This record gives sequence, C-alpha cells and structure tokens, in this order.
Amino acid sequence: MTNRNDVTGTKRRSAGRRLLSAAAVAALCAGAGAAFAATPKNALVMAWNVDAISTFDPAQVGEVVTNEILQNTCDTLVDFDPADERKVQPSFAERWDVSPDRKEITFHLHKGAKFPSGNPVTAEDVAWSLHRVVKLNFGNAATLTEFGFTKDNVEQTIVAGDNTVTFKLDKPYPTTLVLQSIAANRVSMVMDRKTLMANEQGSDLGNKYLATRTACVGPYKLTRWNAGESIVLEANDGYWGKAPGLKRILIRHVAEPGTQRLLLSQGDVDVARDLTPEDLKDLEGSKDVSIVKVLRPQLFYWGFNVADGPFSKEKVRLAMRYLIDYEGLGKTVMTYLGVPRASFAQLGAVGALDAKEGQPFKLDLDKAKQLLTEAGYSNGFEASVLFGTLPHANPIAQSVQQNAAKVGVKLSLERMANAQLFSKVRGREYQSAMLAWQTNVPDAHGNASRLVFNPDNRPEAKQTQYPSWRSAYQDLDLNKKVDEALLEPDPAKRDALYATLQKDVMAKGPMAFMFQMNNVAGVRKDLKAWTWNGFRAYYELAAK
Amino acid sequence: MSRTAIAASGQSSDPGRTIFPSWLKASGRTLASFAVTLLGLAALTFFIGRLLPLDPVVAVLGDNVTQEAYQAMYKQLGLDQPLYVQFGRYIRGVLHLDFGMALTTGKPVMADIARVFPATIELASVAIVIGTSLGIPLGVLSAMYRGSWLDQIVRVVGLIGYSAPNFWLGLMGLVLFYATLGWVGGPGRIDFTYEFDLEPVTGFLLIDSLLAGNWEMFGNAVSHIILPASILAFSSLAYISRMTRSFMMEQLSQEYVVTARVKGLSWARTVWGHAFRNIAVQVVTVVALSYAFLLEGAVLTETVFAWPGFGRYLTNALLAGDMNAVVGCTLLVGVIFVTLNLLCDLLYRVFDPRTR
Repeated sequence: MTNRNDVTGTKRRSAGRRLLSAAAVAALCAGAGAAFAATPKNALVMAWNVDAISTFDPAQVGEVVTNEILQNTCDTLVDFDPADERKVQPSFAERWDVSPDRKEITFHLHKGAKFPSGNPVTAEDVAWSLHRVVKLNFGNAATLTEFGFTKDNVEQTIVAGDNTVTFKLDKPYPTTLVLQSIAANRVSMVMDRKTLMANEQGSDLGNKYLATRTACVGPYKLTRWNAGESIVLEANDGYWGKAPGLKRILIRHVAEPGTQRLLLSQGDVDVARDLTPEDLKDLEGSKDVSIVKVLRPQLFYWGFNVADGPFSKEKVRLAMRYLIDYEGLGKTVMTYLGVPRASFAQLGAVGALDAKEGQPFKLDLDKAKQLLTEAGYSNGFEASVLFGTLPHANPIAQSVQQNAAKVGVKLSLERMANAQLFSKVRGREYQSAMLAWQTNVPDAHGNASRLVFNPDNRPEAKQTQYPSWRSAYQDLDLNKKVDEALLEPDPAKRDALYATLQKDVMAKGPMAFMFQMNNVAGVRKDLKAWTWNGFRAYYELAAK
Repeated sequence: MSRTAIAASGQSSDPGRTIFPSWLKASGRTLASFAVTLLGLAALTFFIGRLLPLDPVVAVLGDNVTQEAYQAMYKQLGLDQPLYVQFGRYIRGVLHLDFGMALTTGKPVMADIARVFPATIELASVAIVIGTSLGIPLGVLSAMYRGSWLDQIVRVVGLIGYSAPNFWLGLMGLVLFYATLGWVGGPGRIDFTYEFDLEPVTGFLLIDSLLAGNWEMFGNAVSHIILPASILAFSSLAYISRMTRSFMMEQLSQEYVVTARVKGLSWARTVWGHAFRNIAVQVVTVVALSYAFLLEGAVLTETVFAWPGFGRYLTNALLAGDMNAVVGCTLLVGVIFVTLNLLCDLLYRVFDPRTR
C-alpha cells in the first residue's frame, strides 16, 4: 500500500513546477498580446468623466461636459475671446450694430454656410433656434426670459431679416452683457431647423432627436456618442470658418482619477480632466505633462435657510463666515482646485471686487463667538449641514464643523447623492447646505440676478431657479440695487454699484461663499496650444 | 400501469388530476415561479425607488430650472399619477419589452442594456474561465495535500482574494502590468486607435474582431481584458478553490476512497475519477453563483478599468435617481440569477443520476 504522505511529497514538487510554468506562460502570452499605440497625430485624446451627458439639446443642457462639447460643435452668434473672457469676438455673426437707445442689436450673419446635413444656414434658422429655447421652456429659457423675451413675444422680438437677426429688448441692458449672456451662450447655437422639424415628435421641436445627436454647424461634428463610454468629434469638412488644427477629438469616459493619471503618464491620452490634487501635485514636475488651470465662474458656498432658526439672524450668518478657514483650506484641500472667494461675483467678471476686497474674511473664532453672543446665541446652537458628492465638500464641511464646535455650535454633517441634495435645497427642506453654483456670464449681474435677487419669496411662489429663494432670502433694497446696477450705462458707476452690492451681501447675505473653482487638467507637452478660459475650451485651436 | 407512467405517456385514467404530462406541469410551475419572482422583484425595486429621496426630474433637467418647467417634466414622466398607476404602466411596458427611457442617457433602457451588457458578459466570462480553470484544480490539490506548502499558498491566495479590495488590486495591477512593465493594455476595452475601425456585430469585442478577421485588434482586445478579468478571477478563484477544497476534503474522508486505494487505484484516479465526480454538483453551483455575481457587475473593477459595463451603468443610474434604468437592470439581474439556478438544476440532472 502506497503511503499517502509519500505520494503527497512527489505530487507537491510536481504540482509546484507545473504551476510556475503555467504562470510564466500566462505572463508571456499576456505580454505578447499587448499592442500599444501613442495617441494619433491628427487627434486629441482626452480622459474625462462624461457620465453626466443626457442630451445634446442646447435648450436643455445644464452641465459642463455637454456644454463644452456643444461649444465645439455648434457655433453661437458671438464667442468669448480665448485670451480674455470678458471680451466677445465675432463667431457666426460677422459683426453687430446697436441702436442708439441700446434696445436693438442687429447681428450680421455669415453667408453661404451649410449644416453637415447639407441644408443651408439661414437667418431664419438662427432666429428659430432662439425661439425654440424659449418655447421649450427648460432651465436655459431663463437666459432669454431674464431679458424680456417670452413665449408670447419672442417671435416678434427676435426677428430674422436679410441675412440678419435682430434682438428687440424691453430695456436698455448693457450691450456687452447681452452679447455675453445670450449671443455667446448655448441658447444662440444655430440649429438645423429643417432636420429637427423633420424629426419632431409631438411638439418637441426636435428635443428627443437631440437626445443622442447634434444638428448644428461648428468646427467639429459629433459622430459618435456611446453613453458612459466614448465621444468622437470629427472635423466638419464643409465648415465655413477656419479648419481646426486636429482632425478628431476622442473623449474616453474614465471616471477614476487614478486611472486617468496612468493613461496620461503612459501617453495614451493627451489630456486628463479629473485629476485629484494629489495626482496634480505628483505630476507637477513631470517632463512629459504640464498642469494647466484657469479660474472658472463656479463658486462653492455654504448656503443657509433663513426662514427661521439661528440662520435667520444676520449676525449668525456673519459669524459662520469667520468659522471658515479660507487660508488653511486653500493651501490644502483646495490646492489646484480653487481659490478663496467670499464675494458672489467671481474673479474675472465685470464688476467683481479684486481678490483682496472680495475675500475679507479669515478664521477668527473670537469674532465668531462675539457675533453669536450679540445675536443671542452665546451658548451656541445645533444645526445640520447637507452636502453632496463633490470630493472637496466633505473635508471642507469637516473643517467648518470642527471650528464651529469650538464656539459651541454643533453642526451635524449629512452627505447624500447630488440629486437628493438638490431636491432638498430646492424644496427649502434644509437648515444649511454646501454646494456649487456656476454662472454663464463674465459679469457680476450673472450671479447677482440669481444669488441676490429674489422676485417673490413666498413659499408657494416656488422660484426654485433662484438660490436666493431656496434660502428664503429676500431683501427688497438689494433687489433694487441689482436692477439699478444692471441698467447703469456708465461702466465706472456700474462697477461702483456692484462693489457696494458685494460688500452688502458679504455682510448679511444668505450664502457664505468660500471658494471659486478652477478648471484644471494634466496636458501632455506634445499637445500644442491647449486653449481655454473660464467659459470654454477651444478644441479647434489645439495642434500636435 | 403506474400513475407516473400514465402521466408520462400523456394518457390519463383520472382526467381531473393527470390531464397534463408531468414535465409540462413542472415546466409550468417553473415558469410561474419565474414570473412571480420577477414581478415581485419589479414591484419591490419600483416602490423602493419611488420612496428614495432622489428626484428624477432634477436628473433630467438639472438643478437650475424653473418650477414651471419642473412641473411640466414631472407630468411628462407620469410622476403625477398614483403609484399603482405608474407601476401598472411600467409593467405593461415591460411585457412589451419596453423598460422606458433612461433619464441619464436619453436612450431606451433596453438599448442601453444591450450596449453595456456584452462588455460585462465578456469580462465576466473570461474571468470565470480563469477563476474556474485555476480555482478547481487548486482546491482539489489543496485537499489532496492538506497542510502542505501548496495548501498554505492556496489558503493565503484565497485570503487575499477574499479580503483585498478589487479597486486597490486593479489600480496596483495597472501600475505594475500596464504602467511599469507594459505587459497589458490600459483601461478601456481596446485602444482608441482600433475603436473606430470596428463596427459592432455582437457587442463582444473579442468575437467581433475575430469575425472581422482582424488579429491585431483581437490581440489588443485580449491585452485589455486580461488584467481586469484576472483581477475579477482572483476573487472568484479564492471562493471556488476554498469551496472545492472543502467539498473534496469531505469526500476524501469517505470509506469508498479508502476502498479504492486498497484495491490499488492510483491516487490521481481516485480523486479525479471518483471523488471529483461526487462533488461536481456542488462545484457547479459554486461556479454558477460566482458567475452570477460577476455578471451582476463588478462596479469597482469596471470603474478602475474604464470598462463600460453593466455594474457601472446601474450604479450611475441609481445615484442619479434614474429609476427606469435601475428597475430594468434589477430585473435583468433577477433573470440572470433565476436562469442560472435553472441551469444548475439541469446540470444536477447531468451529474447526479439520483435527481433524474
């Protein structure tokens, strides 16, 4: 009879050898199968988290990824100057005239342009594109309705002429503001009316058709979108303007920043858009990769529901501002991500206070304690802070929580999905919340009109598109100042009005603004002329 | 003639009780159970989804929207209707294989699933092949040489496979095999260079590239799948090998094994020819369960490897409050589990004559 242990010994050696051989073969096979390619010479390859895309309809789009893709595929009437976002430059409109009373702007359009479908681009297409935004009445309609265009009057106030389109305004708004707000905005993207109407479902003006494709004219055209996978833009061969530097833009959906970093380091992508501060710091000294950043018009803030409770008191809200460690967080959590900013007007906007005046606060527990005592809360109070999934929200909330505890304020933190956070804030079902807000305009009015102005504070008014309403905050004096600054024709006086407004809001407003965010990316050095500002990236200018 | 025989022959001496053959009854029972399970699953997911504080309207329109537009979309999505009406409509759609539109992609849920599921099936299938082909032999060998160095190694490997997060393993694997050694392709299913040269036929890149006769592309797809599949296989391997070892140990302590050895049968033949046959049913169950879990979606692995699969789609839909997509995916997961259970039952009949 064979001894089982002897058998085991023999088999053990044999099995070990076989296992090692198998592992070696597997490794060799894997190595032999690998085939690598650097990014194509005629293409820009980008790693980006593009999960948020749900439609390509400029009337509906509300998030940054789709907005950027549309900006590179659909021409607007005018465009932001790449070098200075406060200036506008011609785009599909070659030039524009303004009436003496500033209430009419006439855009003169390029002639002979064609959509990728082959349909000619007409003035009627341009006017119709703007009409449909108002008629569809998604969130972006507010961009036009704020300037007096309504469903009832838009066909009479945005009028197509002989290769021209004229805006007839109800008030003498600053022309630059109108150009920035409307003519450079996605709402003025020129859409292929014939194609959209041929694919209309019900009376959706082509909205469903645009859920998965574009129908417009621009330097690139969208040729492929696989949700959560990849996006391909191809140069539009028949484009009326200058041909783009690269033939293709390839965007691969990569959600994980660590993976983006690996792809960038290996040269498998040219640009990585969602790197963490740690990744950016590590890549800072790389010989192959540059870190590029630019301020964007997005503010991260701590908003208070002032309907009742401690936050209804101005001094409590002011005290909360002294619990924010702007400097410490700016140097740690927010390195690369943003800069401290306490004013509602973002740096770079017309009328914005400069960096120093627009951020007068510092962590000062004594001052906070004093203000709380004056407000009748010498023993502190308890409150909740809601925040979403932004990676920097949690550490900032924790920092504020720790500082607040030192002056007797017990803050409970509640993290939740963004959709849940928005629902609660829109429904005023919160005490305080940390979230972000982005404007589309490089002008102080962009945020003043939403974050300060509140047309109707009644709960039943449901002015949910106004963060001021969500905070249950209405100050009729501030409302008046917002209107006054908007229509002031003298630029210097206008700046002064906004300066006062910003200081007032920093002292008593319902939001403690904390940081202005950056656009930041890792870019391979062999990609030339990656060009962007706070409002858009210019793919057509990139080259290799 | 016995009643069973009568039933099997389709004749009946008692029309009230044996009008249908037994196989038909069994199939009917299975189908009914299948339908009830899926209906229950759909109801549970649907109603839990409606209770979650996630706003599908915000998912569609975004945060910056007027109340008027909000209300219009609320109505358009049918959210103003009572829950039972919404559920009834949903089920009616499902019966026509219409799971509604995914709010987050703007496409029909069925189209989305048809797009993302092949990526997961491909990944899970390669992973289960690796996991099974290594896990079963390792489990058997561990049992055969209990306490040996091989057993110890398999135990440690199993422990790591169980406890190390796939997310971490994936990143480490990428750093080592992709970034440092360059042995495998990077994240994604294929290099961008190839991605646009292939028109999807089946959705399975390995198959589509073969169908196209493009061996270079096939090699590239293999180089991309090998690492994530191996990472996934690692945890399957751990489970399969531990369970196989346990089943085999029990068999090896049976008297028939001693008898076989006394009669002069070789150790290998005793184990593989006799003991293994007796654990085959249990092993099949373990493998099927592992496969089902892999198909359900390995969210973290898919995230790290930028793998456009089912798990990531479901997670994104859930976080965005896209309940059409969530319920559709949940039903699919239910179908997978029920189907694999049925397959297991069938395989039992193949491997175990007593169940026939």
